[in-house]
Amino acid sequence: MTVVEERREAEVATPEFEKAANRAASRRGFLLSLPAYAYLVLFFAVPLVIVLIYSFATRNRFGGTDLSGWNFDAYRKLSEPIVRDILFRSLWLAILTTLICLVVAYPFAYFIATRRPLVRNLMLVFVMIPFWTNFLVRNYAWRVLLGNDGLFTNISEALGLGERELLFTTSAVVIGLVYGFLPFMVLPLYASIERIDLSLIEASRDLYASGFQAFRKVLFPLSLPGVIAGSILVFVPSLGAYVTPEILGGAKTTLLGSYIVTQFLTARNWPVGASLSFVLMAVMLVATLVYFRSGGKNL
Amino acid sequence: MGDGGDHSVNDASAAVQLSAITKRFGDVVAVDNVDLEIADGEFFALLGPSGCGKTTTLRMVAGLEFPTEGSLKIFGNEVGTLPPNKRPVNTVFQDYALFPHMTVEANVAFGLKMQRVAKAEIAGRVQEAIGLVRLEGLEQRRSQQLSGGQRQRVALARALVNRPKVLLLDEPLGALDLKLRQEMQRELKALQREVGITFVFVTHDQEEALTMADRIGVMNEGELLQVGTPEGIYERPVNRFVANFIGQSNLIDASVVSGDTVCLADGNHIPGRSDLPVGTRVALCLRPERVEMHPVTAVPAGHTSISGRLESVTYLGNALVYTVANEWTELEIRLENQPGGFRPYVGDDVAVSWMPDAVTVVRA
Amino acid sequence: MSSTVQPRGSTKIALSVHSWLVYLFFFAPIFVLVVFSFSADRNVGRWGGFTLQWYQDFTEHSQLQNAVWVSVRVALLSTLISVVLGTLAALALERFKFRGRKVFDALLYLPIIIPDVTMAVMMLLFFSEFFDVLDAWFGLDLQKGLGSITISHIAFNISFVSVVVRARLAGMSEVLEEAALDLYATRWKTFRYVTFPQIIPGVAGGALLALTLSLDDVVITQFAAGPGATTLPVFVFGLIRRGVTPLINATSVLMLTASVFLVVLSLAFQQFSGRSGRPSLRAARQAVSAKPTTNTHIKEGIYQ
Repeated sequence: MTVVEERREAEVATPEFEKAANRAASRRGFLLSLPAYAYLVLFFAVPLVIVLIYSFATRNRFGGTDLSGWNFDAYRKLSEPIVRDILFRSLWLAILTTLICLVVAYPFAYFIATRRPLVRNLMLVFVMIPFWTNFLVRNYAWRVLLGNDGLFTNISEALGLGERELLFTTSAVVIGLVYGFLPFMVLPLYASIERIDLSLIEASRDLYASGFQAFRKVLFPLSLPGVIAGSILVFVPSLGAYVTPEILGGAKTTLLGSYIVTQFLTARNWPVGASLSFVLMAVMLVATLVYFRSGGKNL
Repeated sequence: MGDGGDHSVNDASAAVQLSAITKRFGDVVAVDNVDLEIADGEFFALLGPSGCGKTTTLRMVAGLEFPTEGSLKIFGNEVGTLPPNKRPVNTVFQDYALFPHMTVEANVAFGLKMQRVAKAEIAGRVQEAIGLVRLEGLEQRRSQQLSGGQRQRVALARALVNRPKVLLLDEPLGALDLKLRQEMQRELKALQREVGITFVFVTHDQEEALTMADRIGVMNEGELLQVGTPEGIYERPVNRFVANFIGQSNLIDASVVSGDTVCLADGNHIPGRSDLPVGTRVALCLRPERVEMHPVTAVPAGHTSISGRLESVTYLGNALVYTVANEWTELEIRLENQPGGFRPYVGDDVAVSWMPDAVTVVRA
Repeated sequence: MSSTVQPRGSTKIALSVHSWLVYLFFFAPIFVLVVFSFSADRNVGRWGGFTLQWYQDFTEHSQLQNAVWVSVRVALLSTLISVVLGTLAALALERFKFRGRKVFDALLYLPIIIPDVTMAVMMLLFFSEFFDVLDAWFGLDLQKGLGSITISHIAFNISFVSVVVRARLAGMSEVLEEAALDLYATRWKTFRYVTFPQIIPGVAGGALLALTLSLDDVVITQFAAGPGATTLPVFVFGLIRRGVTPLINATSVLMLTASVFLVVLSLAFQQFSGRSGRPSLRAARQAVSAKPTTNTHIKEGIYQ
C-alpha cells in the first residue's frame, strides 16, 4: 500500500542542508534589519563621520570651512582659557546638579520604597508626570516663576527679603537642571532600593547598628547601583545642557552646549564646534561604559 | 536494538524512524549518531538527564531543528529537511506555550485555522478535542485564568485536534506539582489509549518514564544508550549509567573471570553471568530491594554474600534502609518493615546476601 | 510588609515632609504657569482677573499655528516610519543571528546615548553637505525644512522604538512562535497571528515614546530646520529668548496638556494591555534597566 500523502518527499538531512538553512535564517535577519540599518548608516553614521572630518578642518577668513589641510587646531583650542573656563564651568555645574539631585532624591526614593504598594504606585505616578512633561515648558515655568515680576520675586519682596534677582544667574541654571533631571535620579534610586531586602536593615539594627550606621553600612552600599545609574543619568545630560542655560542663564554663564551652538550659528567656527561636540560625545560614551561596568545592565 | 520481540517494526509501519541522526551545534555534539524506531501506537519515552540531547532529538522530529546528518522518517516518509508546519506531528511544549492573547477555544482552533479547514468542521473538531480533555465550559477563558493542569489539557487539545500522526511531548508534566503530576500520568496514559496515536515524550524523571511508557530510550551525552520496555531496562541495564539512572542500584566494582563468574575487589569469585571478555572491568548491579541481610553466620544456602559493618539505619515507615560498608564497598539494603525480621544494630557485623539471579553484570 | 523597617517617629515625619516638599517643587511651577495663563494682566506674575484672551491669541497667531502643524506632521510621519523600521530592527536583533548584527546593535544604540547637541551638529553639517551634493548633481535648490526635520527625528526615534519593542520581544518566549510553526502556521502567519499581537504593547509604547520625543525636541530640530518650516518647540524657544509673554504661557499650557495626555494614554494603555498589576512600578524599574539615556531620553523606559 502506498502512502496517500501529497506531501513532497524531503531529502535526507546533510551538513550542507543544515548550513544552507542557517544561512537562509541569517539572511532573513539581515533583510529585516536592512531598512533601519541603511537608514542609520546614511542619516546617522555618515553625519557622525562628517562631524569628525570637520573637527580636523580649518576655518577660513569668510567664516566658511576649508576641508583641505587637516590639523588638530580645533582640538588645541580646547586648552585656550575661554574654552577651558566653559568646560570647567559646565563640569562644575553638572557635578553640583548631580549632587543636589542625589541628596534630594535619596530620602524621597527611600520613603516611596517603604510605602505600601498602593501609595507607592500613586507616588510614582506623580513622579512620572513631570518626568514626561515637555522639557522646554518645564524650564519656561521657572522662567515665569523667577522672572522680574515673577511670583518668586513678589513673595520675596512681601516677606521683606528685598528684591532678589535669581533669573539669569548660575543658581537659576542649577535650579532648572535639578528640576529637569530630578526624576532621572529618583526612579533608578527607587528601583534599586525597592529591590533591597529591607529585612537586612532590620538585621543590622538587631546587631546594634544605629540608624545612621545601618544606612551607611547596609542600605547605601546595596543601593549603589541605583546611585551610580541615577548620577550618570543626571550628570551626562546636565553636561550637554543647552535649553536650560539658554532660558534661565545669563550671558556670563555660557555653558558647553550653548558654546557649541554659538560656534555654528553665530561665530561660524565649525571646526571648533565639531571638535567640542566630539569631546562631549566621548565623555558620554565613557559614562555609559561606567554605567554598564557597574552592573547597570542588570539593575 | 532493545529487547526486540513484539515491538520489532518494519520501515513502512514505524511511526518514527531515526537513522544515524546527528546534531551538532558548532563544536558541541548534541545528538550523536542515534538510531531509533518507534512503532505506531506506541507510548515512547526519551529519558535522560538535562543536556543529554533528548529534547534536541524531539525538536528534530518536530522540525524545530534540522539534523546535521541522518535520515528521519515519519511513517516511511523522509521529513528531515521539512519545516515544522509541513510535518504531520504536533508538539505539547514544556511550559505549554499557549497563546496568551487567545481564548482556550482559539488556541485549540489555531492549527485547523492555519490549515484552512472549513469553519463548520473546525467548530466540531474543537468541541470534540475540548471534550476529550474534559475542558467543557472553559472555552472562553484565557490561559492566565487557567490552572497548571488545565493549561496542560489545553496544550494537549490544541495538538490533538489536528489529528497528528505522532504527538510529541516535551517534559509534559514538569511544571505540575507532585499530586497533579501523578494524576496526569494516569490521564495521559488513558488518553493515549483512547486516541491510539503514537506519543513520544521527553522526561528526566525515571519514575514518570517507567509508569507511562511502553518503551523507554535512555540517553546520555548525546548518545542513545539503551532502548527497551521499562521492565527490560530496569532488570537488564546495559551499563553503569543506565543502572544508576533508572531506579537505585548498588554498583560493586568487579572484573569478568568467566562467562558466569566475576572477581570482586577482595579477590573473591562470585557468580555473575555476562558475555563480556575475560578481564573486562564491570560493575555488579544489585537493586536494594533484591538483597537480604543476615547474621554473618546464617547466610542462607545458595546465596552469595559480602560481609561488612552496619553503618546506618534509616526508618521509612513501611521499610528500613540499611547501609553496610566494608573496606572496598558500600551497599544499601531496603527491607520491608515486618515484625520478627533480623534487626541488627549499627556497628554489628552483618552479611549482605542475594540469590545469584538478582545480580546484573553491567559495563563499568 | 516589612513593617519594622518602615521609618518611624521623627524620621518618618521628616521623610514625609521632605516628600511633600519634593512634590511641591515638582508641581508648583507648573501650577503657577497654568494659573497665570488665565490671568488678564499682561505682566506675567500679576493676577489681573480671569481671561481666555491668550488662548484666543494662540489660535489666531498664524506663525504658531503653522508651527503646530509642522510639529504634528513631523511627529506623526517620523513616528510612523520609525515604528516600522524600529520594529523590524527589533525583530532582527531579538530573533536572528546574522553577520553585522553586533555593528548594527551598536549603531542602533548610539543615537540614544549621543548628546543632543552633538546630534544637532551632525544634522546641520550633514544637511549642508548632503544638499550641496544633491543640488550639484541634480541642479536642485534644496532647503532644510519639514523633510530634514522629519529625517533627523526618525534617526533618533528608530533607536528608541527598537529598544522598547526589543524589551517586549525579549519578554515573549520564542516557544510561542515555535508552537505556531508546529501548528502549521507559515512564517508570515506566525508573525501575523502570534508575534505581532504579543508585541503590540511594545509597538504602541514605542510609538508614544517616538511621538513624545519628536514633540519635545528643540536642539536637534533647531539645527535641522530651515527657513522652510519650524516646529512648535523651536518656535516657542525663540519666543522665550525674547522674553516672557502671556501668549507663551498659554502655548506652554497647551503643550503641557498634550504631554500629560500622552502620559495618561500610556498608563491607561498599560493597564488595558493586560500586563498590568503594578504598571508604574514596573515602569520605574524598566526606566532604569532600559539602556542608559540622555536628556528626555530615559522616558523610553516608561512605556515598556
